Amino acid sequence: MPRLTIDGREIEAKAGQTVMEAATEHGIFIPYFCWHPKLSVPGNCRICVVGVAEKDGGEWVEIACNMPVSEGMVVFTNSEKVRARRKATMQFITLNHPVDCGICDKAGECTLQDYHYEYNGERSVSVDAKVHATKHYALSNRIVLDNERCIQCTRCVRFTREISKSNGLGLVNRADHSLVRAAEDGSFANDAYSDNVIDICPVGALLSRSFLHKARVWYLEPTASVCPGCSRGCTVNLWHRRPEWRLKAPGMQAANASVDRVTPLENPAVNGPWICNKGRDLPKLLGRARAEVAMLKGKPADLPGAIAQARSLVAAARRPVAIVSSWGSNEELAAFKAAFGTRLEAFVKADHLPEPGEVVEDSLLIRADKNPNTAGATALFGDRAPAIPKDADLVLVWGEGLDFGLIPPAAKIVYLNAWLQPENGHADVFIPTSIQTERDGHYTNFAGVTSAFSKCFAKPAGVADAETLFPALAAAGGGAP
Amino acid sequence: MPGRQLIMTFEVTPTSHTLEAYKARGGYQTLEKALKMAPADVTKEVTASGLLGHGGAAFPVGRKWGVMKPIPGEIHYLCANADEGEPGTFKDRWILENAPHLLVESMLITSYALGVRHAFVYIRGEFDLPYRRIQGAVDEAYAAGLLGKPVFGSEFALDLVVYRGAGSYVCGEASGLITSIEGRKPYPRNRPPRLTVRGLFQKPTVINNVESLANITGIIRMGAEEFRKVGTPKSPGTQLVSISGHIAKPGVYEVEYGYPWAKFLDEDCGGMLHGAKLKCVVPGGISTKVLTRAEIEPLTLSHESVNPAGSGLGSGGMIAVAEGTCMVRFLQVLLRFYHHESCGQCTPCREGMGWMHKIIDRIVAGQGVPEDIERLYAISHANDGTTICGMGDAAGYATVGILNKYRDEFEYFIQNKRSKFDGRLECLA
Amino acid sequence: MKHLIPEFEKMKERFPAGFESSLVLPCLHRIQADRGFVADEDIDGLVAYLGVPRVQVEEVLSYYTMLRREGIGRHHLQVCRNIACSMRGAEGVIEHACKRLGVKPGETTADGKFTLSTVECLGSCGTAPVMMVNDAYHENLTLQELDRLIEECK
Repeated sequence: MPRLTIDGREIEAKAGQTVMEAATEHGIFIPYFCWHPKLSVPGNCRICVVGVAEKDGGEWVEIACNMPVSEGMVVFTNSEKVRARRKATMQFITLNHPVDCGICDKAGECTLQDYHYEYNGERSVSVDAKVHATKHYALSNRIVLDNERCIQCTRCVRFTREISKSNGLGLVNRADHSLVRAAEDGSFANDAYSDNVIDICPVGALLSRSFLHKARVWYLEPTASVCPGCSRGCTVNLWHRRPEWRLKAPGMQAANASVDRVTPLENPAVNGPWICNKGRDLPKLLGRARAEVAMLKGKPADLPGAIAQARSLVAAARRPVAIVSSWGSNEELAAFKAAFGTRLEAFVKADHLPEPGEVVEDSLLIRADKNPNTAGATALFGDRAPAIPKDADLVLVWGEGLDFGLIPPAAKIVYLNAWLQPENGHADVFIPTSIQTERDGHYTNFAGVTSAFSKCFAKPAGVADAETLFPALAAAGGGAP
Repeated sequence: MPGRQLIMTFEVTPTSHTLEAYKARGGYQTLEKALKMAPADVTKEVTASGLLGHGGAAFPVGRKWGVMKPIPGEIHYLCANADEGEPGTFKDRWILENAPHLLVESMLITSYALGVRHAFVYIRGEFDLPYRRIQGAVDEAYAAGLLGKPVFGSEFALDLVVYRGAGSYVCGEASGLITSIEGRKPYPRNRPPRLTVRGLFQKPTVINNVESLANITGIIRMGAEEFRKVGTPKSPGTQLVSISGHIAKPGVYEVEYGYPWAKFLDEDCGGMLHGAKLKCVVPGGISTKVLTRAEIEPLTLSHESVNPAGSGLGSGGMIAVAEGTCMVRFLQVLLRFYHHESCGQCTPCREGMGWMHKIIDRIVAGQGVPEDIERLYAISHANDGTTICGMGDAAGYATVGILNKYRDEFEYFIQNKRSKFDGRLECLA
Repeated sequence: MKHLIPEFEKMKERFPAGFESSLVLPCLHRIQADRGFVADEDIDGLVAYLGVPRVQVEEVLSYYTMLRREGIGRHHLQVCRNIACSMRGAEGVIEHACKRLGVKPGETTADGKFTLSTVECLGSCGTAPVMMVNDAYHENLTLQELDRLIEECK
């Protein structure tokens, strides 16, 4: 275990670590662009220089990301030499950068912007024209590339080689004319993890086309959540408008209650720093048309009336069956169990199946089970496939995805669903429910890891929370949820 | 001839490069001798010879070999660096064209010493005749059973591939060369690890310059002690000097280390073209700092003499520059080259080379500003020791070397928007 | 490209096992010698044959100056303009060639016969100036010799 000193602080590093790794582990910050803990070390940006004391009293300056630790090493991260070298490197990095932060989506969370203020802070010393390169280059139908903003750290290229393994990106040409380009075989467009390159880009070169110019990032705030796209249950941040930056213009209210973008919430136990593109597209999944009005046989009804009707149907049933949602939170599932016990014969259904064209399963993150809480649901209700007995006289369906053709014609149907779907009108009682972004809860992923999600928005009026709805449906005396 | 010869020891004829002619000169007898030695003894002999690398850095060959401790059963590689691309350098080309079997035999001996089973000659893509000559020699050696199967009754067998580059200066840098052989863009690699620890496809690899390797046969044949009798104690042996520019008799000369520099230029090379006066000399490829006539006067062609003068013998690519040559335009050509050849991998070189090129172009276009000179210095310094390979440093050395000595020409050009001379690079009669 | 596979297989014999990726450059050289440039279908074929990522081949093709993805004139005149050649008249050679052919460096004559390029050091500094006509070096080049070579190629 080599012991070394960084900025006067003695630390114990692990053998084989680099100075960068040891410093990071001990909370000592060394700036970097190209280095990434999950990627190989190209050592190309040269900003992570540190000084190392030499025996003769001198100081040797080298990059920290490729410098192995050694016993007794004395490292400086902020010596005069180091500062001068960093400043020169910052001058180089911004030499051909357009410095168009005013119109760049990355502004506010841009490493280059932060480092400029921290380590340079001066205007360009160049009087020569900048190198021009392609702007608004469609790297795929998801990602737009601005080559002038690119500092060629190759994080994106390495990501496609080392993590997603699509080999979808490359750096073509040479010198200051090098360009990040997608492979001509379309492998980047087919990379199910491509959007991670947007997060790891330290500048505004790679931007999401769906988020492009939607909001300055400081108008948004993240809420910790769990991606419901598959049974991996990657932890994510859902970004939405901060209350103080709410839009007030007429017709813009929906934008105040929508998820503008999704980014990974780093989690070593589940997804590391990555998520797949399906997770990025959650706003589409969560932005589908909602069912907000309860119905009795397809006719609008008020929520308490619908609940009362459902309760009496459940109470009257002799052979009641429940089809439980694999999108229910652990809290909701427990409430169901507590409310109904074994009164209903319960089966867990897959609310979602793989869509045509979707990656079904791979060795990185994506799981074939496209539901977030199958593990939590089957732990309580078993893993038998839904098989509705012919003599069932009531079926309580929770969540989307059940073929109503499987329900015996004579059975009454109580349907709980969040989305505006044709089946809603076929139920004897339909009760609209809240979605993940409108409540707190937990999902348990395929490996048994439980992750929490939090509420982003208030639920619409006229919509019930399943967690409080179940006791109301089961209660003999009744009571509103 | 400037001193004793070790390499250019025979008359070049239309057939002197063939296996038959090489064998008639005693070719491949040294290999037979080496195979009777223990591999470690071959390395010991090379280390004892004090042979210095001829690629430019003058790193002791034996020391480089010594880092690679042959592990039985482990894969090791040897590469001959024949990517001769340093402007002003064309001496390896002489060996490839005229003594290809000397290289093949030397590589066999080296591979035997280092436990190498597969070796490569990485030759620059533009070299057409040198490629055909070395490939021809390799084919002859295969046909004669010297390559591809156990040789001379030993258990040692070597496969040798001639690998053609495709136009890139950084392939001459050892790690860039290796990345190129791996079939990728020739991005140089950070050290550590050293290539002798993790080189080609992550296996220990020794890369030696063609001329360095060509000396191995001679060292084993005559023994280290005899070898050391040539040259000087600190620079044993000879150096192939390729001289070009404004010199009367340009070409490749084998110079015994310690030979007087001025005498070499004035007598061996026939003095300057059209009787012009010598302004300065690029000693060993454009990346070494220029020296003026007065500076070289007391020097001999040896590392211990040239290095203290603030330059180096580098790759042996000497360029003689006549009085009246515009050094601003001279530097412009060099900076255009460095910009063209920067691989673009690391920041200081990628941005710095283009920047320096723009500045010098602007000066030559009559739009220079006084700060440009300091800017060129600053960019050079910011490339000194900060890049992944030595290219950023090299461009800096070349620039600083010229600016230090001919700053007045730059100031004149910026102030008067024209060259202090007539802007020429040619030396007219 | 497929008809070259037997040649590639022979080439492979001298390489160590597992060096498929190494064969990218020699195969591209061979394909270009065959077709004059490397076509998209050649890249597809090579990627399938060697099992390397396509992007690697695209990067290589874009990086090295000698490889090209489009056809050029029948005679490729490449004039060195690095320092040693410039000191021996390369700038005049380039100017003369431009005038004579009516093109700028990097361009091809309208009849498709000549492509003129400038290149950096060809390692012929001692016999400067030098020009390559396709693969062959023409050293100690004079303007008269340049005229003669152009005439001969016409």
